[in-house]
Amino acid sequence: MAKKWFVVLGVIISLMVMVSCAKRAVKEEPVVTGKAGEQAWGKPGEGAERAGVEEKSLQASLERKKYPGIEGEFLESSLLKDIHFGFDRYDLTPKAREILAQNAELLLKNPRAKIQVEGHCDERGTVEYNLALGERRANTTKQYLLSLGVSEDRMTSISYGEEMPLDPKHNEEAWAQNRRAHFIILSR
Amino acid sequence: MCLTCTLIPAEVSRARVYIDIEAPELQPLPIAIAPLRDIGRSRPDLDRKIMDILANDLTISGFFEIIPRNEFPQDPDALADPPNYGSWSTSRAEALVIGGYASKGEQLAIEFRLFDLVEKAFLIGKKYEGSVKSLRNIVHRMSNEITYWITGERGIFDTKIAFVSTMSGNKEIYVVDFDGHDLRQITRNGSINLSPAWSPDGRLIAFTSYIKRNPDLYLFDLTRSVQIQLSTNPGLNAAPAWSPDGSRMALMMRKEGNSEIFIMNRDGTRPKRVTKSWSSEASPTWSPDGRKIAFVSDRAGSPQVYTTDVNGGNVKRLTFFGSYNACPSWSPKGDKIAYCGRMDGRFEIFTVNPDGTDVRRLTESSGNNESPIWSPDGRYIAFSSTGEGPSRIYVMNANGANQRRLTATKGKESSPTWSPRMDR
Repeated sequence: MAKKWFVVLGVIISLMVMVSCAKRAVKEEPVVTGKAGEQAWGKPGEGAERAGVEEKSLQASLERKKYPGIEGEFLESSLLKDIHFGFDRYDLTPKAREILAQNAELLLKNPRAKIQVEGHCDERGTVEYNLALGERRANTTKQYLLSLGVSEDRMTSISYGEEMPLDPKHNEEAWAQNRRAHFIILSR
Repeated sequence: MCLTCTLIPAEVSRARVYIDIEAPELQPLPIAIAPLRDIGRSRPDLDRKIMDILANDLTISGFFEIIPRNEFPQDPDALADPPNYGSWSTSRAEALVIGGYASKGEQLAIEFRLFDLVEKAFLIGKKYEGSVKSLRNIVHRMSNEITYWITGERGIFDTKIAFVSTMSGNKEIYVVDFDGHDLRQITRNGSINLSPAWSPDGRLIAFTSYIKRNPDLYLFDLTRSVQIQLSTNPGLNAAPAWSPDGSRMALMMRKEGNSEIFIMNRDGTRPKRVTKSWSSEASPTWSPDGRKIAFVSDRAGSPQVYTTDVNGGNVKRLTFFGSYNACPSWSPKGDKIAYCGRMDGRFEIFTVNPDGTDVRRLTESSGNNESPIWSPDGRYIAFSSTGEGPSRIYVMNANGANQRRLTATKGKESSPTWSPRMDR
């Protein structure tokens, strides 16, 4: 019984935190981690009771971020893993499908999270063709998540072409890292 | 620009073409520029300035060789008006510019006369009036005029080139004069700014920016220095290309999960799909008659250049050699399409006729050469190159000769776009 009260208390605290967060008009904030117990992920009430290990761990993995020059903040989770592509390819490798299956599982357990799939390219090739290629990578990724049951209204996609390399070096290793689909959480 | 110019009556009324700029081996015309007379004796410093700008313009054009002053004939009448032609007979010079200037406060008047030393004839004389601040512009117009009388077409010395530079840490758009002077920052939004495209009327630069977490299309109004949001469809609004009459814009937009070529009105309304494929389409460029578009597509498995009618019909593949051909740019005369193609792991600039014949390679360097764009007279191509290290903008003659670095900002430079002529 006492345990249940704690959960309810947790929900109330989380609602208070959410309200206060919404009021704050701060652009940059420190990383939000290790507050798994404070913020409920699912719906208040029953949803919170069903909060499982994965939800808490996703919650714990969230990091608040902002891209320079792009309006708004977003959340990133180390549990939503990048997938990688071959040179000038947008088809999914077996490894990418495996990772997407895990990502989909996580998203299905956290049904309120809205994500954006980012398509990225390495620096080789032209800026404009890479925009098209990034668009294609993001869309292929999104379609696969859709086929795994993640609903379309939770997903948007964007191509960054070659504009946001993870590794700025000019070698095969860097290029392989940079040809990726990345996932950010826009709202939850 | 408050600038007036007066035509000084000439004995000949038509320009004769002295050098054929289409010739494969172009011989620059040796030209002598006499020291300018300071008529009001008020600004002796301007002689050097005017000379430097003029000599630099004519040199970088690739059409002229400036005869050094120590090769001038000793006869003082050699520089008289009209000159003593006989004293030039032993000189290499085939043309002579003499002139003078007067300044009063901030007002400046420059006058020049061009003589043909071989035919012993007066070709043209012009007088320009403006402010001292517009000195560079006045001299560029002189250079345009001299070029017209020697080559049969006005020069483009008063045009500008816009490009992307990472000098401030992110990709912003900058503008610089054709001669590499007067670098100016255009966008200051701190975001990722791509693919600037100068409007045919010279007043606007269209570009893509990620300000609102989407590659949206914006216009920068150069006369009012303001940024205007134009097209914000979810997904790409990228690689804008103005129709030659400025009424429409071709661009890359998302359709059915991939990038297609669309055409919309210049105010962003009524986007109409041009290409229909399951593949990626990119980088549209208009034919000068506004009837066709060249673009990149990977429909055959690798990026290649294609042409299509603007209604989407009559699609033809243009490039067949190599596994990556992209960034097409249709020449203003319509006779060539420049593009970049990968060869031995690097990009080089090529031209091809719109029917796919006569492929010519224009660059040969240790780095990547990309994003060719034609000058409004079709005589030059600007492009980006990593041949000397970080990516820089270069200008070359349309046959690949006379390559020169335009500028050198900190950071990397890419995606040049050429202004129209400004002295129309």
